[in-house]
Amino acid sequence: MNRQHDCILTIDLGTGAVRIFAFDLQGVFIGSMKGSYPTFHREPDQSEQDPEQIFITVLYVLKNLLNELIQPAGYQVTAICFSAAMHSVLPVDKKGNPIGNAITWSDNRGKKESNLLKNTPLGATIYDATGTPIHPMSPLVKITWMKNKDKDRFDKTARFLSIKSYIIQQLTGESIIDYSLASATGLFNIHTFEWEQAALDHAGISAQQLPQLVPIFYSSLRLRSEFQSSLGLSDRTKIIAGASDGCLATLGAGVWGEGKATITIEQSGAVRVVGKEVLIDEKQRLFNYVLTKDYYVSGGPTNNGGVIFEWFTREFGSFRKAFDLEDSMEGLIQEASKIPAGSDGLIFLPYLLGERAPIWNANARGCYFGLNMQHRQQHLIRATIEGILYEIYSIGKTLEEHRAIHTLSINGSFTAYPFWAQLIADIFNKPVHVKNNSDSIGLGAFLVAATEMGIYKSLEDATREIDVPGMYRPDRNNHEVYMRLFKIFERLSSKLAEDFEEIANWQSQ
Amino acid sequence: MNPYLLQKGVSKELDLFPHIIEFGLKKVQTIRLSSLPVETSQSFRLYYIWDGRYDWTIDDHSHILYPSDLALVLPGQSFGSPRSALDIGTFSWLSIDIGDAVFGPWSGLSPTDSRSIRKIFVLNTQPVAANLKEAGKLFQQLAQELHLQEIGFQTRVHQLTDALLILIARQLIQQSHSQRDFSGSFMKLEQELRKNLSHQWAVEEMAALVGLGTTAFTEKVKSYTGFSPLNYLINIRISEAIKLLKQTDHHLTDIALETGFYSSQHFSTTFKKLTGYTPSQFRKDNTDQP
Repeated sequence: MNRQHDCILTIDLGTGAVRIFAFDLQGVFIGSMKGSYPTFHREPDQSEQDPEQIFITVLYVLKNLLNELIQPAGYQVTAICFSAAMHSVLPVDKKGNPIGNAITWSDNRGKKESNLLKNTPLGATIYDATGTPIHPMSPLVKITWMKNKDKDRFDKTARFLSIKSYIIQQLTGESIIDYSLASATGLFNIHTFEWEQAALDHAGISAQQLPQLVPIFYSSLRLRSEFQSSLGLSDRTKIIAGASDGCLATLGAGVWGEGKATITIEQSGAVRVVGKEVLIDEKQRLFNYVLTKDYYVSGGPTNNGGVIFEWFTREFGSFRKAFDLEDSMEGLIQEASKIPAGSDGLIFLPYLLGERAPIWNANARGCYFGLNMQHRQQHLIRATIEGILYEIYSIGKTLEEHRAIHTLSINGSFTAYPFWAQLIADIFNKPVHVKNNSDSIGLGAFLVAATEMGIYKSLEDATREIDVPGMYRPDRNNHEVYMRLFKIFERLSSKLAEDFEEIANWQSQ
Repeated sequence: MNPYLLQKGVSKELDLFPHIIEFGLKKVQTIRLSSLPVETSQSFRLYYIWDGRYDWTIDDHSHILYPSDLALVLPGQSFGSPRSALDIGTFSWLSIDIGDAVFGPWSGLSPTDSRSIRKIFVLNTQPVAANLKEAGKLFQQLAQELHLQEIGFQTRVHQLTDALLILIARQLIQQSHSQRDFSGSFMKLEQELRKNLSHQWAVEEMAALVGLGTTAFTEKVKSYTGFSPLNYLINIRISEAIKLLKQTDHHLTDIALETGFYSSQHFSTTFKKLTGYTPSQFRKDNTDQP
């Protein structure tokens, strides 16, 4: 068999788009394509997606990639490995057909259910067992919410799938969930690798109502024959379960082993570390997800990543070309770079969307603090970016209470701006390597597939293949400025709790 | 400015312009009670305020109009004063027939532009264009042409009517999207596509709803979604069709037409190409499963 022309595809079911990457067996990138699908917000706190549209988009992009790139170049697809955004819930009936839309991670309708469980002994037990913070994002809370508020749908549901389980079910006929994605449901015990009974009982469901648990390397599924012929793929093409996007981004960024952390900044953001042990945080501020039985990916998520800078740009940026947000953001960043580190004492709390780690306060709101007559528009721009990164730093600092971090690998569309990368290096006072996020997820999924196929001995072995690109070194003087201001940032974030609540109540009237 | 009232079939000034139903200017010097009750409008109407402050109901919502504001009333929408009274002030109005799909032969607009502009009016949800002084100028010129009837006036009246409609369409687009937020504008377009899935959407129409030219729009959609506008639309059509196939026992032809395919043949070919299944195979496979 001529292995030179074999290739592996990775399919990432992201929050707003599917991205399919192709690699040859040496890990050389062949090409990629994406297709996006919408998120519906038809009522406050609702975030839903149409599972059929996601499925069609996956098929469409897959077909285009195969027809335009893979087949003309003479490649043969040996495996397809999946990655997906965490926390989605899709109720299906006995026949496996969706009952309504899929509920995605950012859906906050379970606020009340989450608050009721969070500060109870049961909540603490479930958090310790599952590693997923009690929060409306968690499928545990979403299903509990559905039981309370959408009883009809809850009663009709034969099984609660994730979006990824549904797509795999459509393609292969089987509904499965890998340990990694399961570990972000709040229903899965990360110590025993079984569904957690206390969580199931709380949600009012049984293990039979969830997809079958499989390791990330699970590869016995095959495409339905209809898709084999319509896509031109062989019946030997392996369908590999894969993992969650967060875990795979960490793997693909090469952050494996002691002293390393990865920062992702897309619309939202996260800081993550990898270790052999669960990271126990009694304040329940951090998540612990699993990749395999040997590796835990721990960290904290933020709601207020790049989406805040996009908001600022839309509202206050200058638009030379209609709808050109990129162009406008670059203009603002250039302006911000003219202002000294610390924005002459102007501090921004970026909590426009409420916040998750480390303060876990859904009522938190944005705030510019310390404005004086000397501050100009540029100060507000710079302070906005600094504020988003102070929040990221506060997650990193929480992680450092548990693990030493010496170097950072950053990825995501916003870290592609050198100005942001340097700011992160300065604020953290650590050297920073930059990688592209969707590339990291794709590469992570490739490494899982390649390890399953025996190309690498282990994931650890596989990550040695990753070359770590360009580095930003911290500036000590800037770091000192940032640390003095960060103290105030941190104090304000906790001090304002009461006022956050009052203003959030006022706003929701 | 003197008040006037031209009416179709009554005023001979309008003989050459059968699409103009009514064109007038009203000066109200004392509040007139029960002279403007809320009623369903039979035609497409534009109101331009010269002077005064008007509190009107349009399409069941209350709007306050100030000088230089323009209000747009669609056939079938409610219009009038909630107190039935006509307040002190001056305003012009024009009531015209905008056709069923495109404007009549009077219009110099291309069929594509004409369809797009009609669509923008029909789908518009914000009936007041604030501070549109240019519309006032066009109303004035239109009145002059109709009254003086100088050489070339027929062409000028047609041109001015077109100019007025273009101006308003552009203003409505600008109001509804800030031209800053493509994802927001695209979401609105998404909603419109889903609401009118059986409509044979043209790219020009979609572009007009977002307020971009066809080329810029196609490029923007391609980089944002990964698909050309028409392929994106096929995505939505097929996903809706899948739901109908699974959930109902509708006839395939009905599903095809409901989701915007020309025929059940067109539906079957597209469906098979994309999913590998014919619609009936797909239905069988997904409803017989244990």
